[in-house]
Amino acid sequence: MFFKLDATAGQPLYLQLMQQIRHATETGALKDGDQLPGIRTLAEKLVVSPNTIAKAYSELEHEGLLELRHGSGAFVCVKRRIRSMADSVHAARRRIRDLIERLRDDGLIDEEIRRAFEAELLFPVEIASKR
Amino acid sequence: MTSEPAILTHGLTKSYGHDDAVRGLDLSIGRNRITAFLGRNGAGKSTTIKMLLGLIRPTSGSGTVLGKQITDAEQNRRMRQRVAYVAEDKSLYGYMTVQQTINFARSFYSDWHVDAEKKLLLDSELPANRKVKSLSKGMRTKLALLLAFARRPELLILDEPSEGLDPVGIEDLLRTLVSCSADGVSVFFSSHQIAEVERVADHICILDKGCLLMDASVDQLRQSYRRIDMVFPSPPPEREFQISGVKRIRTAGNQVRIFSSGNAEAVVERARNLRVVSVEVAPVGLRDVFLETVREN
Amino acid sequence: MLWYKAWLETRSRFLTSLATLTIFSSIFVHHALYIACLNTFPCPEEVRHSGWRSEFHFLLFVNQQYVVLMWILAVVLLGMGGLLREKALGTSSLTLTLPVSRARLMRVRVAMGIFQAIVLGVVPWLAVLIISFRAGMPISVAQVGFYILLLVGGGLIYFAMAVLVSSLVSGEYTAPALTFGAVLLGAMLFDNWLRRFNVWRLVTGDFSIDRNTFLLSKQVPWPGLLGSLCVAALMLLASVIAVQRKEF
Repeated sequence: MFFKLDATAGQPLYLQLMQQIRHATETGALKDGDQLPGIRTLAEKLVVSPNTIAKAYSELEHEGLLELRHGSGAFVCVKRRIRSMADSVHAARRRIRDLIERLRDDGLIDEEIRRAFEAELLFPVEIASKR
Repeated sequence: MTSEPAILTHGLTKSYGHDDAVRGLDLSIGRNRITAFLGRNGAGKSTTIKMLLGLIRPTSGSGTVLGKQITDAEQNRRMRQRVAYVAEDKSLYGYMTVQQTINFARSFYSDWHVDAEKKLLLDSELPANRKVKSLSKGMRTKLALLLAFARRPELLILDEPSEGLDPVGIEDLLRTLVSCSADGVSVFFSSHQIAEVERVADHICILDKGCLLMDASVDQLRQSYRRIDMVFPSPPPEREFQISGVKRIRTAGNQVRIFSSGNAEAVVERARNLRVVSVEVAPVGLRDVFLETVREN
Repeated sequence: MLWYKAWLETRSRFLTSLATLTIFSSIFVHHALYIACLNTFPCPEEVRHSGWRSEFHFLLFVNQQYVVLMWILAVVLLGMGGLLREKALGTSSLTLTLPVSRARLMRVRVAMGIFQAIVLGVVPWLAVLIISFRAGMPISVAQVGFYILLLVGGGLIYFAMAVLVSSLVSGEYTAPALTFGAVLLGAMLFDNWLRRFNVWRLVTGDFSIDRNTFLLSKQVPWPGLLGSLCVAALMLLASVIAVQRKEF
């Protein structure tokens, strides 16, 4: 399992890990029943605090994506509805690809496009709805 | 027992004549996490750590480490059984060999793990029979760290542990810190290496001129500190942006750059009310948080 | 393993002093005896009967003067080191953060030093004893015991002085220089005004020697020895307090 946590992104590491684990279950890299590395093992591999791993696993357990079995580790439990989420992620990626192509045609360079996306993403939903 | 902080100080002060090395420090370092102690040279980090370990007596104030009073010699001594410390100068006895040093240190602590010792010795490639005085600085640092990492104490205190290590050594150090933390060791280390701190620390404390300027979780900093770059049709007055959380406002013509410790949404909303042309919100790395915090002081 | 550390730190000083003291005493006594015995051991009858005995004992008395000088030198050097010196060398943050009290660190260092001081007093005299037997002029063990008792019992005050100075001053050369200075100054001042209390004379046997036979035949000067040991103990106590107060 390949994870990459960016310490300088404006997002707590445990949230990044949660997203990456979720993404892995959506793309099928992690399947139902797969075991994730233990907290210590993953912490040592990524060289991050074990509290980060523990928090990510714990939150995902609350969401129902992981099952933490005492003594054995963290196991993925992908429910059937996740399968359809993978489809909507695919559809979203296609839409984003089209949008990016159009922005490039408008003359924007990739760096500007990325900064615009990040700026919009960092707004909480309330501000977006006020517009 | 495990709910009390690993380190707790009240108004800890150390003065040398008219100079205050440490001023009214109220530190609270939690258990089971990795806390980094950041500060400029001469900020008082080493002085604080030495007071905690009984090397120096505070001028006033008090503190406890693992619940034991730091100013009581006997309590401090018993506390040192459960604490591993590596000094900034990585002191070792030059006349002992690597193996003699290890045997010496091992004899004092019941929390020593022989398997950890053997593995660390193997990985570090330290020559067991060479005298410490003929080791290179990097090897001496590794040995000094080994004496702490071969133990599983309740608390690990490290003063500038990565000094003298090459990038591979630093990576090994961080991995070992993380491994200790996974075993339930509370870690408290001071460092200048902000990049390393950013990766492994759960919590940071910033000390400057003897005062504690910040005590925050790194995740919380990641979520709240923002740099907001805005371009206006005409330069707006700075007082428009004196919102809570805003730390610094810089203007250059029509451009405004704001550094805020939270409440970025309010800044953006104010900007929109002032008909801003473009807004970019970016995260702030720990280095900039540190520099801004210290600069304000 | 504090004893091991103390041994490693003082090993070369101790062994060098031991060798020097033993070799000197042996050569001095052996050489003088050999000549007096007309170059044959065991000493021929005529030499032994001709009143040579008191000259022989005078020889031993002279040996003690030299031994005392070298022993004091050695013991002052052995008293050097300690936590202040460690601070100057940069090793004190390791020693002081061990889970041992400063008093215990001091106790081990002092005990090792006292043990070494005793050995330095006993071994050279044993060598002399053996030589005297070989020469056929055996000294009484009681005499040797008396000399050793005077040396160590009275002389530990010099060791304590060294420990006290090294607990106050950290210089590698300043500390021994100050101690030697104090020893010499003390000897001179006491000799001028308080000769009866001059420890140096006590230790060399000056107060206990019978000037006719050159045997230590007077009473063992218990008050003097105990007094010296008490002052030594007080100095060591002061050293512990000084070190406990010091900031590192």
